[in-house]
Amino acid sequence: MNYFKIWLAGARYSLARTLMFRGDFFIWSMVELLWMGVNLLLVAVIYQHTPSIAGWTEYEMVILVGTGMLVQRLLMGFFWTNLFELGRNVRTGAFDFFLSQPGHPLFMASTRKLDPDGLANSFVALGVVIFAVHKLNLHPSFIDIVAYGLVILAGLAIHYSILVLTMALSFWLTSTSGIEGTYFALTEFSRLPRGAFNGFARLVFVWILPLVVVSNTPSEILLHGFKFSWALSLIGLAILWLTLAIFVFNRGLKRYASASS
Amino acid sequence: MIAVFTKYKQAFILGLQSNLVYRWNFLARGVFSLLHLVAAFILWGAIFTIKPTIGGFNLAQTITYFITLIILQFFIGAFNEDFQISEEIRNGLINQFILKPINYYLYRFSVFIAARLVSGALVLIPLIIILPWIGNYLALPHELWRYVYAMPAMVMAAIIQFTIAYCFGMLSFWFLDIQGFVILSFAIETALGGQTFPLDLMPKAIFHIAQFLPFFYQMYFPAAIITGRIGPELIVQGFIIQAFWVLFLLIAAQLLWIRGLKRHTAVGG
Repeated sequence: MNYFKIWLAGARYSLARTLMFRGDFFIWSMVELLWMGVNLLLVAVIYQHTPSIAGWTEYEMVILVGTGMLVQRLLMGFFWTNLFELGRNVRTGAFDFFLSQPGHPLFMASTRKLDPDGLANSFVALGVVIFAVHKLNLHPSFIDIVAYGLVILAGLAIHYSILVLTMALSFWLTSTSGIEGTYFALTEFSRLPRGAFNGFARLVFVWILPLVVVSNTPSEILLHGFKFSWALSLIGLAILWLTLAIFVFNRGLKRYASASS
Repeated sequence: MIAVFTKYKQAFILGLQSNLVYRWNFLARGVFSLLHLVAAFILWGAIFTIKPTIGGFNLAQTITYFITLIILQFFIGAFNEDFQISEEIRNGLINQFILKPINYYLYRFSVFIAARLVSGALVLIPLIIILPWIGNYLALPHELWRYVYAMPAMVMAAIIQFTIAYCFGMLSFWFLDIQGFVILSFAIETALGGQTFPLDLMPKAIFHIAQFLPFFYQMYFPAAIITGRIGPELIVQGFIIQAFWVLFLLIAAQLLWIRGLKRHTAVGG
Protein backbone atom coordinates (compact mmCIF):
# COMPACT_ATOMS: atom_id res chain seq x y z
CA MET A 1 0.00 0.00 0.00
CA ASN A 2 2.81 2.30 0.97
CA TYR A 3 4.62 1.40 -2.25
CA PHE A 4 1.50 2.18 -4.25
CA LYS A 5 1.34 5.64 -2.69
CA ILE A 6 4.98 6.28 -3.58
CA TRP A 7 4.35 5.10 -7.12
CA LEU A 8 1.28 7.30 -7.42
CA ALA A 9 3.27 10.35 -6.32
CA GLY A 10 5.88 9.57 -8.99
CA ALA A 11 3.17 9.08 -11.61
CA ARG A 12 1.56 12.39 -10.75
CA TYR A 13 4.90 14.16 -11.01
CA SER A 14 5.57 12.56 -14.42
CA LEU A 15 2.19 13.58 -15.78
CA ALA A 16 2.69 17.15 -14.64
CA ARG A 17 6.08 17.11 -16.34
CA THR A 18 4.57 15.83 -19.57
CA LEU A 19 2.04 18.63 -19.55
CA MET A 20 4.92 21.05 -19.23
CA PHE A 21 6.79 19.62 -22.21
CA ARG A 22 3.94 18.88 -24.60
CA GLY A 23 6.18 19.17 -27.68
CA ASP A 24 8.43 16.43 -26.32
CA PHE A 25 5.45 14.21 -25.65
CA PHE A 26 4.28 14.67 -29.22
CA ILE A 27 7.67 13.91 -30.76
CA TRP A 28 8.30 10.82 -28.61
CA SER A 29 4.82 9.50 -29.33
CA MET A 30 5.56 9.89 -33.02
CA VAL A 31 8.90 8.12 -32.57
CA GLU A 32 7.30 5.07 -31.02
CA LEU A 33 4.41 5.11 -33.47
CA LEU A 34 6.83 5.16 -36.39
CA TRP A 35 8.88 2.30 -34.97
CA MET A 36 5.77 0.20 -34.67
CA GLY A 37 4.95 1.19 -38.24
CA VAL A 38 8.36 -0.08 -39.35
CA ASN A 39 7.67 -3.48 -37.78
CA LEU A 40 4.24 -3.73 -39.36
CA LEU A 41 5.64 -2.64 -42.71
CA LEU A 42 8.07 -5.56 -42.59
CA VAL A 43 5.15 -7.95 -42.07
CA ALA A 44 3.14 -6.33 -44.86
CA VAL A 45 6.04 -6.52 -47.32
CA ILE A 46 7.00 -10.11 -46.54
CA TYR A 47 3.43 -11.39 -46.90
CA GLN A 48 3.32 -9.88 -50.38
CA HIS A 49 5.64 -12.74 -51.28
CA THR A 50 4.57 -15.64 -49.09
CA PRO A 51 1.33 -16.91 -47.55
CA SER A 52 2.88 -18.01 -44.25
CA ILE A 53 5.99 -17.90 -42.08
CA ALA A 54 6.61 -20.97 -39.91
CA GLY A 55 2.87 -21.69 -40.13
CA TRP A 56 1.71 -18.15 -39.25
CA THR A 57 -0.51 -16.29 -41.69
CA GLU A 58 -0.34 -12.52 -42.16
CA TYR A 59 -2.81 -11.42 -39.51
CA GLU A 60 -1.63 -14.09 -37.08
CA MET A 61 1.79 -12.52 -37.52
CA VAL A 62 0.28 -9.07 -36.88
CA ILE A 63 -1.06 -10.40 -33.56
CA LEU A 64 2.42 -11.66 -32.72
CA VAL A 65 4.15 -8.42 -33.66
CA GLY A 66 1.42 -6.37 -31.95
CA THR A 67 1.73 -8.42 -28.77
CA GLY A 68 5.51 -8.05 -28.81
CA MET A 69 5.06 -4.30 -29.23
CA LEU A 70 2.50 -4.15 -26.43
CA VAL A 71 4.91 -5.70 -23.92
CA GLN A 72 7.69 -3.44 -25.11
CA ARG A 73 5.56 -0.26 -24.96
CA LEU A 74 4.50 -1.13 -21.41
CA LEU A 75 8.14 -1.56 -20.50
CA MET A 76 8.93 1.80 -22.14
CA GLY A 77 6.05 3.48 -20.37
CA PHE A 78 6.68 2.20 -16.87
CA PHE A 79 10.37 1.41 -16.56
CA TRP A 80 12.63 2.30 -19.49
CA THR A 81 13.76 5.85 -18.60
CA ASN A 82 14.33 4.85 -14.99
CA LEU A 83 16.46 1.85 -15.78
CA PHE A 84 18.28 3.65 -18.56
CA GLU A 85 19.23 6.35 -16.07
CA LEU A 86 20.20 3.73 -13.49
CA GLY A 87 23.37 2.97 -15.42
CA ARG A 88 24.32 6.62 -15.60
CA ASN A 89 23.41 7.30 -11.97
CA VAL A 90 25.56 4.46 -10.69
CA ARG A 91 28.52 5.84 -12.62
CA THR A 92 28.06 9.43 -11.50
CA GLY A 93 27.09 8.65 -7.94
CA ALA A 94 23.65 10.22 -8.34
CA PHE A 95 22.31 6.81 -7.37
CA ASP A 96 22.87 7.83 -3.71
CA PHE A 97 19.59 9.69 -3.99
CA PHE A 98 17.63 6.44 -4.31
CA LEU A 99 19.34 4.83 -1.33
CA SER A 100 17.97 7.50 0.95
CA GLN A 101 14.36 6.92 -0.10
CA PRO A 102 11.66 5.06 1.80
CA GLY A 103 11.62 1.79 -0.13
CA HIS A 104 13.77 -0.88 -1.73
CA PRO A 105 16.31 0.87 -4.00
CA LEU A 106 15.29 -1.26 -6.99
CA PHE A 107 11.65 -0.25 -6.61
CA MET A 108 12.54 3.39 -6.08
CA ALA A 109 14.99 3.46 -8.98
CA SER A 110 12.67 1.74 -11.44
CA THR A 111 9.42 3.57 -10.75
CA ARG A 112 10.47 7.19 -10.36
CA LYS A 113 9.28 8.35 -13.77
CA LEU A 114 6.51 7.33 -16.13
CA ASP A 115 6.63 7.86 -19.86
CA PRO A 116 3.11 8.78 -20.94
CA ASP A 117 4.13 8.50 -24.61
CA GLY A 118 5.04 4.84 -24.12
CA LEU A 119 1.76 4.23 -22.31
CA ALA A 120 -0.21 6.05 -25.02
CA ASN A 121 1.40 3.86 -27.63
CA SER A 122 0.64 0.69 -25.70
CA PHE A 123 -2.99 1.48 -26.56
CA VAL A 124 -1.99 1.73 -30.21
CA ALA A 125 -0.26 -1.66 -29.95
CA LEU A 126 -3.36 -3.10 -28.30
CA GLY A 127 -5.40 -1.58 -31.12
CA VAL A 128 -3.21 -3.38 -33.65
CA VAL A 129 -3.83 -6.69 -31.85
CA ILE A 130 -7.59 -6.09 -31.67
CA PHE A 131 -7.65 -5.14 -35.35
CA ALA A 132 -5.91 -8.40 -36.31
CA VAL A 133 -8.20 -10.44 -34.02
CA HIS A 134 -11.15 -8.84 -35.78
CA LYS A 135 -9.66 -9.50 -39.23
CA LEU A 136 -9.17 -13.17 -38.38
CA ASN A 137 -12.73 -13.32 -37.10
CA LEU A 138 -11.58 -14.68 -33.76
CA HIS A 139 -13.86 -14.61 -30.74
CA PRO A 140 -11.68 -15.10 -27.67
CA SER A 141 -13.65 -16.01 -24.55
CA PHE A 142 -13.56 -13.99 -21.36
CA ILE A 143 -11.08 -16.45 -19.86
CA ASP A 144 -8.83 -16.13 -22.92
CA ILE A 145 -8.78 -12.36 -22.56
CA VAL A 146 -8.01 -12.48 -18.84
CA ALA A 147 -5.29 -15.06 -19.49
CA TYR A 148 -3.89 -12.87 -22.28
CA GLY A 149 -3.66 -9.95 -19.85
CA LEU A 150 -2.01 -12.10 -17.20
CA VAL A 151 0.66 -13.52 -19.50
CA ILE A 152 1.32 -10.04 -20.88
CA LEU A 153 2.09 -8.95 -17.31
CA ALA A 154 4.32 -12.00 -16.87
CA GLY A 155 6.05 -11.07 -20.12
CA LEU A 156 6.49 -7.51 -18.88
CA ALA A 157 8.13 -8.90 -15.73
CA ILE A 158 10.52 -10.98 -17.85
CA HIS A 159 11.46 -8.02 -20.07
CA TYR A 160 11.90 -5.88 -16.97
CA SER A 161 14.14 -8.51 -15.38
CA ILE A 162 16.32 -8.79 -18.46
CA LEU A 163 16.69 -5.02 -18.59
CA VAL A 164 17.53 -4.86 -14.87
CA LEU A 165 20.12 -7.61 -15.32
CA THR A 166 21.65 -5.68 -18.23
CA MET A 167 21.73 -2.35 -16.46
CA ALA A 168 22.93 -3.88 -13.19
CA LEU A 169 26.18 -4.59 -15.03
CA SER A 170 27.00 -0.95 -14.39
CA PHE A 171 27.72 -1.88 -10.76
CA TRP A 172 30.64 -3.94 -12.02
CA LEU A 173 31.71 -2.16 -15.20
CA THR A 174 32.79 1.44 -15.34
CA SER A 175 31.43 2.31 -18.75
CA THR A 176 28.09 0.90 -19.76
CA SER A 177 27.10 3.42 -22.39
CA GLY A 178 25.40 1.65 -25.23
CA ILE A 179 24.70 -1.40 -23.11
CA GLU A 180 20.96 -0.79 -23.44
CA GLY A 181 21.52 -1.65 -27.11
CA THR A 182 21.73 -5.28 -25.98
CA TYR A 183 18.12 -5.15 -24.93
CA PHE A 184 16.98 -3.76 -28.30
CA ALA A 185 19.07 -6.27 -30.19
CA LEU A 186 17.41 -9.04 -28.19
CA THR A 187 13.84 -7.79 -28.57
CA GLU A 188 14.16 -8.27 -32.30
CA PHE A 189 13.81 -11.98 -31.60
CA SER A 190 10.53 -11.50 -29.74
CA ARG A 191 8.79 -10.63 -33.01
CA LEU A 192 9.54 -14.01 -34.55
CA PRO A 193 7.35 -17.11 -34.36
CA ARG A 194 8.58 -19.88 -32.09
CA GLY A 195 8.49 -22.39 -34.93
CA ALA A 196 11.10 -20.46 -36.90
CA PHE A 197 13.79 -21.26 -34.35
CA ASN A 198 15.82 -24.42 -34.81
CA GLY A 199 18.73 -26.11 -33.11
CA PHE A 200 21.08 -23.82 -31.20
CA ALA A 201 19.00 -20.68 -31.79
CA ARG A 202 16.01 -22.49 -30.29
CA LEU A 203 18.00 -23.39 -27.21
CA VAL A 204 19.24 -19.83 -26.69
CA PHE A 205 16.24 -17.69 -27.59
CA VAL A 206 13.38 -19.94 -26.62
CA TRP A 207 14.73 -21.76 -23.60
CA ILE A 208 17.60 -19.81 -22.06
CA LEU A 209 16.33 -16.28 -22.83
CA PRO A 210 12.53 -16.55 -22.88
CA LEU A 211 12.01 -13.55 -25.19
CA VAL A 212 10.34 -15.58 -27.89
CA VAL A 213 7.94 -17.21 -25.45
CA VAL A 214 6.95 -13.82 -24.06
CA SER A 215 5.33 -12.75 -27.33
CA ASN A 216 4.34 -16.17 -28.65
CA THR A 217 2.40 -17.45 -25.64
CA PRO A 218 -0.12 -14.59 -25.39
CA SER A 219 -0.58 -14.63 -29.18
CA GLU A 220 -1.25 -18.36 -29.14
CA ILE A 221 -3.84 -17.86 -26.41
CA LEU A 222 -5.73 -15.47 -28.70
CA LEU A 223 -5.34 -17.73 -31.71
CA HIS A 224 -5.89 -21.18 -30.26
CA GLY A 225 -7.50 -20.59 -26.89
CA PHE A 226 -6.18 -20.67 -23.36
CA LYS A 227 -4.01 -23.61 -22.29
CA PHE A 228 -3.32 -23.80 -18.59
CA SER A 229 0.19 -25.24 -18.97
CA TRP A 230 1.41 -22.43 -21.28
CA ALA A 231 0.24 -19.67 -19.03
CA LEU A 232 1.53 -21.36 -15.91
CA SER A 233 4.99 -21.96 -17.37
CA LEU A 234 5.25 -18.33 -18.46
CA ILE A 235 4.25 -17.08 -15.02
CA GLY A 236 6.75 -19.51 -13.49
CA LEU A 237 9.45 -18.16 -15.80
CA ALA A 238 8.55 -14.61 -14.85
CA ILE A 239 8.97 -15.37 -11.14
CA LEU A 240 12.27 -17.09 -11.85
CA TRP A 241 13.66 -14.18 -13.86
CA LEU A 242 12.41 -11.57 -11.43
CA THR A 243 14.08 -13.40 -8.54
CA LEU A 244 17.32 -13.59 -10.50
CA ALA A 245 17.16 -9.88 -11.36
CA ILE A 246 16.53 -8.87 -7.74
CA PHE A 247 19.32 -11.16 -6.54
CA VAL A 248 21.85 -9.75 -9.01
CA PHE A 249 20.73 -6.18 -8.30
CA ASN A 250 21.21 -6.71 -4.57
CA ARG A 251 24.65 -8.17 -5.14
CA GLY A 252 25.52 -5.16 -7.26
CA LEU A 253 24.19 -2.82 -4.61
CA LYS A 254 26.71 -4.22 -2.15
CA ARG A 255 29.47 -3.24 -4.55
CA TYR A 256 28.16 0.27 -5.00
CA ALA A 257 30.61 2.66 -3.42
CA SER A 258 29.14 5.95 -4.62
CA ALA A 259 31.40 8.43 -6.34
CA SER A 260 33.66 10.85 -4.59
CA SER A 261 33.45 14.45 -5.55
CA MET B 1 45.40 23.88 -51.71
CA ILE B 2 48.01 21.68 -50.04
CA ALA B 3 47.74 23.79 -46.90
CA VAL B 4 43.99 23.14 -46.84
CA PHE B 5 44.58 19.44 -47.23
CA THR B 6 47.15 19.36 -44.41
CA LYS B 7 44.74 21.19 -42.14
CA TYR B 8 42.03 18.56 -42.49
CA LYS B 9 44.57 15.76 -42.50
CA GLN B 10 45.34 16.77 -38.93
CA ALA B 11 41.64 16.58 -38.09
CA PHE B 12 41.55 13.15 -39.72
CA ILE B 13 44.50 11.89 -37.66
CA LEU B 14 42.93 13.34 -34.53
CA GLY B 15 39.70 11.52 -35.37
CA LEU B 16 41.60 8.30 -35.95
CA GLN B 17 43.21 8.53 -32.53
CA SER B 18 40.11 9.50 -30.60
CA ASN B 19 38.07 6.77 -32.26
CA LEU B 20 40.66 4.11 -31.55
CA VAL B 21 39.98 4.89 -27.89
CA TYR B 22 36.46 3.57 -28.46
CA ARG B 23 37.59 0.39 -30.21
CA TRP B 24 35.87 -1.86 -27.66
CA ASN B 25 32.69 0.11 -28.07
CA PHE B 26 32.73 -0.37 -31.84
CA LEU B 27 33.64 -4.03 -31.45
CA ALA B 28 30.69 -4.50 -29.10
CA ARG B 29 28.44 -2.80 -31.64
CA GLY B 30 29.79 -5.16 -34.27
CA VAL B 31 28.78 -8.11 -32.11
CA PHE B 32 25.30 -6.59 -31.63
CA SER B 33 24.88 -6.39 -35.38
CA LEU B 34 25.64 -10.08 -35.52
CA LEU B 35 22.56 -10.58 -33.32
CA HIS B 36 20.64 -8.61 -35.92
CA LEU B 37 22.07 -10.95 -38.55
CA VAL B 38 20.99 -13.99 -36.55
CA ALA B 39 17.45 -12.57 -36.30
CA ALA B 40 17.42 -11.91 -40.07
CA PHE B 41 18.69 -15.42 -40.66
CA ILE B 42 15.95 -17.00 -38.54
CA LEU B 43 13.19 -14.91 -40.10
CA TRP B 44 14.28 -15.30 -43.72
CA GLY B 45 15.26 -18.91 -43.16
CA ALA B 46 11.65 -19.60 -42.13
CA ILE B 47 10.29 -17.64 -45.10
CA PHE B 48 12.41 -19.55 -47.59
CA THR B 49 11.37 -22.98 -46.32
CA ILE B 50 8.20 -22.87 -48.41
CA LYS B 51 9.52 -20.88 -51.39
CA PRO B 52 12.89 -21.27 -53.13
CA THR B 53 13.08 -17.63 -54.22
CA ILE B 54 11.55 -14.36 -53.06
CA GLY B 55 11.62 -11.38 -55.38
CA GLY B 56 13.87 -13.43 -57.65
CA PHE B 57 16.54 -14.09 -55.01
CA ASN B 58 17.32 -17.19 -52.97
CA LEU B 59 18.10 -17.44 -49.25
CA ALA B 60 21.87 -17.10 -49.69
CA GLN B 61 21.47 -13.98 -51.84
CA THR B 62 19.10 -12.45 -49.30
CA ILE B 63 21.43 -13.19 -46.38
CA THR B 64 24.32 -11.76 -48.42
CA TYR B 65 22.29 -8.56 -48.73
CA PHE B 66 22.00 -8.27 -44.94
CA ILE B 67 25.70 -9.05 -44.40
CA THR B 68 26.60 -6.38 -46.98
CA LEU B 69 24.37 -3.90 -45.12
CA ILE B 70 26.20 -4.53 -41.85
CA ILE B 71 29.60 -4.00 -43.44
CA LEU B 72 28.39 -0.86 -45.24
CA GLN B 73 26.87 0.49 -42.06
CA PHE B 74 30.19 0.36 -40.27
CA PHE B 75 32.09 1.81 -43.23
CA ILE B 76 29.76 4.59 -44.41
CA GLY B 77 26.95 4.92 -41.85
CA ALA B 78 26.51 7.84 -39.48
CA PHE B 79 26.61 6.64 -35.87
CA ASN B 80 26.31 9.41 -33.30
CA GLU B 81 27.74 12.29 -35.30
CA ASP B 82 24.47 14.17 -34.78
CA PHE B 83 24.81 14.00 -31.01
CA GLN B 84 28.50 14.90 -31.08
CA ILE B 85 27.76 17.99 -33.16
CA SER B 86 24.83 18.85 -30.90
CA GLU B 87 27.14 18.57 -27.87
CA GLU B 88 29.72 20.84 -29.47
CA ILE B 89 27.13 23.44 -30.24
CA ARG B 90 25.55 23.37 -26.81
CA ASN B 91 28.71 23.48 -24.76
CA GLY B 92 30.26 26.16 -26.94
CA LEU B 93 33.06 24.13 -28.48
CA ILE B 94 32.12 25.42 -31.91
CA ASN B 95 33.11 28.93 -30.88
CA GLN B 96 36.72 28.13 -31.70
CA PHE B 97 35.73 27.22 -35.26
CA ILE B 98 34.08 30.56 -35.80
CA LEU B 99 37.33 32.29 -34.98
CA LYS B 100 39.70 30.03 -36.91
CA PRO B 101 40.02 29.52 -40.66
CA ILE B 102 38.56 26.03 -40.41
CA ASN B 103 35.35 24.95 -42.06
CA TYR B 104 33.33 23.16 -39.42
CA TYR B 105 31.65 20.83 -41.92
CA LEU B 106 34.96 19.74 -43.43
CA TYR B 107 36.47 19.33 -39.98
CA ARG B 108 33.59 17.09 -38.84
CA PHE B 109 33.65 15.19 -42.12
CA SER B 110 37.37 14.46 -41.73
CA VAL B 111 36.71 13.11 -38.25
CA PHE B 112 33.76 11.10 -39.63
CA ILE B 113 35.95 9.42 -42.28
CA ALA B 114 38.50 8.52 -39.63
CA ALA B 115 35.80 7.12 -37.35
CA ARG B 116 34.36 4.97 -40.16
CA LEU B 117 37.75 3.57 -41.06
CA VAL B 118 38.16 2.45 -37.45
CA SER B 119 34.64 1.05 -37.06
CA GLY B 120 34.73 -0.53 -40.54
CA ALA B 121 37.95 -2.34 -39.76
CA LEU B 122 36.59 -3.49 -36.40
CA VAL B 123 33.33 -4.96 -37.73
CA LEU B 124 35.35 -7.17 -40.03
CA ILE B 125 36.78 -8.99 -36.99
CA PRO B 126 33.55 -10.65 -35.76
CA LEU B 127 32.50 -11.24 -39.37
CA ILE B 128 35.74 -13.05 -40.19
CA ILE B 129 35.36 -15.12 -37.03
CA ILE B 130 31.90 -16.32 -38.07
CA LEU B 131 32.94 -16.77 -41.70
CA PRO B 132 33.08 -20.59 -41.41
CA TRP B 133 29.35 -20.54 -40.55
CA ILE B 134 28.15 -17.86 -42.95
CA GLY B 135 30.53 -18.74 -45.79
CA ASN B 136 27.94 -21.01 -47.41
CA TYR B 137 25.45 -18.15 -47.51
CA LEU B 138 27.69 -15.66 -49.27
CA ALA B 139 26.48 -15.33 -52.83
CA LEU B 140 27.90 -12.24 -54.52
CA PRO B 141 27.52 -11.64 -58.26
CA HIS B 142 30.66 -12.00 -60.35
CA GLU B 143 30.25 -8.96 -62.60
CA LEU B 144 33.22 -6.68 -62.12
CA TRP B 145 31.36 -3.50 -63.11
CA ARG B 146 29.22 -3.81 -59.96
CA TYR B 147 32.20 -3.30 -57.68
CA VAL B 148 33.47 -0.42 -59.81
CA TYR B 149 30.11 1.37 -59.67
CA ALA B 150 29.67 0.56 -55.99
CA MET B 151 32.60 2.80 -55.09
CA PRO B 152 31.13 6.19 -56.10
CA ALA B 153 27.73 5.01 -54.79
CA MET B 154 29.32 4.32 -51.40
CA VAL B 155 31.16 7.63 -51.31
CA MET B 156 27.99 9.57 -52.08
CA ALA B 157 26.02 7.44 -49.61
CA ALA B 158 28.56 8.30 -46.92
CA ILE B 159 28.18 12.01 -47.71
CA ILE B 160 24.38 11.70 -47.55
CA GLN B 161 24.52 9.82 -44.24
CA PHE B 162 26.95 12.25 -42.67
CA THR B 163 25.20 15.36 -43.96
CA ILE B 164 21.81 14.24 -42.66
CA ALA B 165 23.39 13.69 -39.25
CA TYR B 166 25.12 17.06 -39.54
CA CYS B 167 21.83 18.80 -40.31
CA PHE B 168 20.21 17.18 -37.29
CA GLY B 169 23.14 18.35 -35.20
CA MET B 170 22.58 21.88 -36.52
CA LEU B 171 19.04 21.78 -35.10
CA SER B 172 20.68 22.27 -31.70
CA PHE B 173 20.87 25.96 -32.56
CA TRP B 174 17.08 26.01 -32.26
CA PHE B 175 16.18 23.11 -29.97
CA LEU B 176 17.49 22.02 -26.59
CA ASP B 177 17.14 18.30 -27.24
CA ILE B 178 17.46 16.74 -30.67
CA GLN B 179 17.19 13.10 -29.57
CA GLY B 180 13.53 12.86 -30.53
CA PHE B 181 14.18 14.12 -34.07
CA VAL B 182 17.14 11.82 -34.50
CA ILE B 183 15.31 8.66 -33.47
CA LEU B 184 12.29 9.72 -35.52
CA SER B 185 14.38 9.98 -38.65
CA PHE B 186 16.25 6.82 -37.68
CA ALA B 187 12.97 4.90 -37.90
CA ILE B 188 12.29 6.29 -41.37
CA GLU B 189 15.85 5.64 -42.48
CA THR B 190 15.70 2.09 -41.16
CA ALA B 191 12.61 1.25 -43.17
CA LEU B 192 13.16 3.29 -46.33
CA GLY B 193 16.92 2.76 -46.33
CA GLY B 194 16.42 -0.97 -46.72
CA GLN B 195 17.66 -2.08 -43.29
CA THR B 196 14.66 -4.22 -42.39
CA PHE B 197 13.97 -5.70 -45.83
CA PRO B 198 15.41 -5.31 -49.33
CA LEU B 199 13.46 -2.39 -50.81
CA ASP B 200 12.86 -4.21 -54.09
CA LEU B 201 10.43 -6.51 -52.24
CA MET B 202 8.02 -3.59 -51.79
CA PRO B 203 5.14 -3.26 -54.24
CA LYS B 204 6.37 -1.78 -57.54
CA ALA B 205 4.61 1.57 -57.10
CA ILE B 206 6.05 2.21 -53.63
CA PHE B 207 9.51 1.04 -54.71
CA HIS B 208 9.30 3.56 -57.51
CA ILE B 209 8.47 6.40 -55.10
CA ALA B 210 11.24 5.31 -52.71
CA GLN B 211 13.76 5.71 -55.53
CA PHE B 212 13.28 9.45 -55.38
CA LEU B 213 13.86 9.76 -51.63
CA PRO B 214 17.29 10.34 -50.09
CA PHE B 215 16.99 7.28 -47.83
CA PHE B 216 17.15 4.98 -50.84
CA TYR B 217 20.68 6.25 -51.51
CA GLN B 218 22.13 6.16 -48.03
CA MET B 219 22.38 2.40 -47.76
CA TYR B 220 20.19 0.40 -50.13
CA PHE B 221 21.61 1.77 -53.41
CA PRO B 222 25.26 0.74 -52.91
CA ALA B 223 24.18 -2.52 -51.23
CA ALA B 224 21.87 -3.34 -54.13
CA ILE B 225 24.61 -2.65 -56.67
CA ILE B 226 27.01 -4.98 -54.86
CA THR B 227 24.52 -7.78 -54.27
CA GLY B 228 22.99 -7.67 -57.73
CA ARG B 229 19.54 -6.43 -56.70
CA ILE B 230 19.73 -3.48 -59.09
CA GLY B 231 20.31 -4.03 -62.80
CA PRO B 232 22.34 -1.78 -65.12
CA GLU B 233 19.16 -0.05 -66.31
CA LEU B 234 18.60 1.64 -62.93
CA ILE B 235 22.18 2.64 -62.26
CA VAL B 236 22.47 5.82 -64.32
CA GLN B 237 19.17 7.14 -63.01
CA GLY B 238 20.30 6.17 -59.50
CA PHE B 239 23.55 8.08 -59.75
CA ILE B 240 21.76 11.20 -61.00
CA ILE B 241 19.25 11.18 -58.14
CA GLN B 242 21.95 10.34 -55.60
CA ALA B 243 24.10 13.25 -56.82
CA PHE B 244 21.07 15.52 -56.58
CA TRP B 245 20.53 14.56 -52.92
CA VAL B 246 24.20 15.05 -52.13
CA LEU B 247 24.02 18.57 -53.53
CA PHE B 248 20.68 19.31 -51.87
CA LEU B 249 21.86 18.17 -48.44
CA LEU B 250 25.17 20.04 -48.71
CA ILE B 251 23.28 23.24 -49.45
CA ALA B 252 20.83 22.57 -46.62
CA ALA B 253 23.70 21.94 -44.21
CA GLN B 254 25.39 25.18 -45.20
CA LEU B 255 22.15 27.16 -44.86
CA LEU B 256 21.45 25.67 -41.43
CA TRP B 257 24.98 26.55 -40.33
CA ILE B 258 24.70 30.17 -41.50
CA ARG B 259 21.22 30.58 -40.06
CA GLY B 260 22.17 28.83 -36.84
CA LEU B 261 25.22 30.98 -36.23
CA LYS B 262 23.01 34.05 -36.40
CA ARG B 263 21.04 32.69 -33.46
CA HIS B 264 24.09 31.45 -31.65
CA THR B 265 25.46 33.33 -28.69
CA ALA B 266 28.94 32.42 -27.54
CA VAL B 267 28.91 32.78 -23.78
CA GLY B 268 31.81 32.79 -21.36
CA GLY B 269 35.51 33.20 -21.94
